[in-house]
Amino acid sequence: MATATPEQTTSQRAEVVLDVIRTRRVVRSFTDEPISDADLRTILEAGRWALSAGNRRINKFLVVQDPKRIRLVRAVSPGMLARPTALIVILTDTEKAAREQVQLDKDLNTWIDVGTAAQNMSLMAHALGLGSCPATSFSRSGVAAALALPPTMLPEFILQLGHPAPQQRVMRPGASTRLPIDALTFWERVGQPLPRR
Amino acid sequence: MAEKMVVSEDEAYELLAHLVASAEICTFEPHYYGTFRLIDAASRLMDCMLRHGSNGSRAWLEAFKQEVDQKKVWMMWDREGYFQFLREATGKVAEALKQREGLAEPASTAR
Repeated sequence: MATATPEQTTSQRAEVVLDVIRTRRVVRSFTDEPISDADLRTILEAGRWALSAGNRRINKFLVVQDPKRIRLVRAVSPGMLARPTALIVILTDTEKAAREQVQLDKDLNTWIDVGTAAQNMSLMAHALGLGSCPATSFSRSGVAAALALPPTMLPEFILQLGHPAPQQRVMRPGASTRLPIDALTFWERVGQPLPRR
Repeated sequence: MAEKMVVSEDEAYELLAHLVASAEICTFEPHYYGTFRLIDAASRLMDCMLRHGSNGSRAWLEAFKQEVDQKKVWMMWDREGYFQFLREATGKVAEALKQREGLAEPASTAR
């Protein structure tokens, strides 16, 4: 795993981080090799350090490695195309949310926190040489039943993890590719393009 | 037509759960995701068929499943290519069905 050392310059460190961000891809094909506990803990550590609105920390992580349980979750999660060897399910702890006076039905920040944790964990998985794939298309009631979740824990996001198997991405000639930064960004005012370098 | 069983009871339950869950999430996802859920369910069915099926149509099924799995994900970044694939896919299944029923036209008359 690439980690920043005191000797590294800021630009070297930025390059390491950008490289991890840029080379991460969704992985939808995994081998049967299990993920080590050490790697899982490192991924969870990355999730723990994600930014959180108001530092309220209303999310919990549930690790699932039991193949039967994973199969059950996959059955009620149409967004799970892969057959992962581990899952990290991001939950909302509604009791903690109530203590923090979070209005879950109105406060969109709660979704942002799920996203930041998921992104951190996905990047860390990639940095460890593992593959990950997000799943948000799942039945809430189905996943709650499959994982025997208490009613106070709401499943928000499933991160599928595993050792990547070779996968071939077939693209149609002429298919669109990732948007360039110019197509995503305005400068100072909406409608105003980035200045030329 | 051969009447060999190609889906076990466990697999059928998994497919059942997948279809019911798909129906649920189709209530809030973009409409075209519904097509994706169906073609993905077809892939999952082919998974079972390949596990238990006879050798007769295995080569066709393997090739078609591979094509489905490669092209279904175009829905996320090449929607026109994905829709075009869907428009062509049914014809391929129909040809395979005809083959199984012994109704395939001789090569000279096939369109």
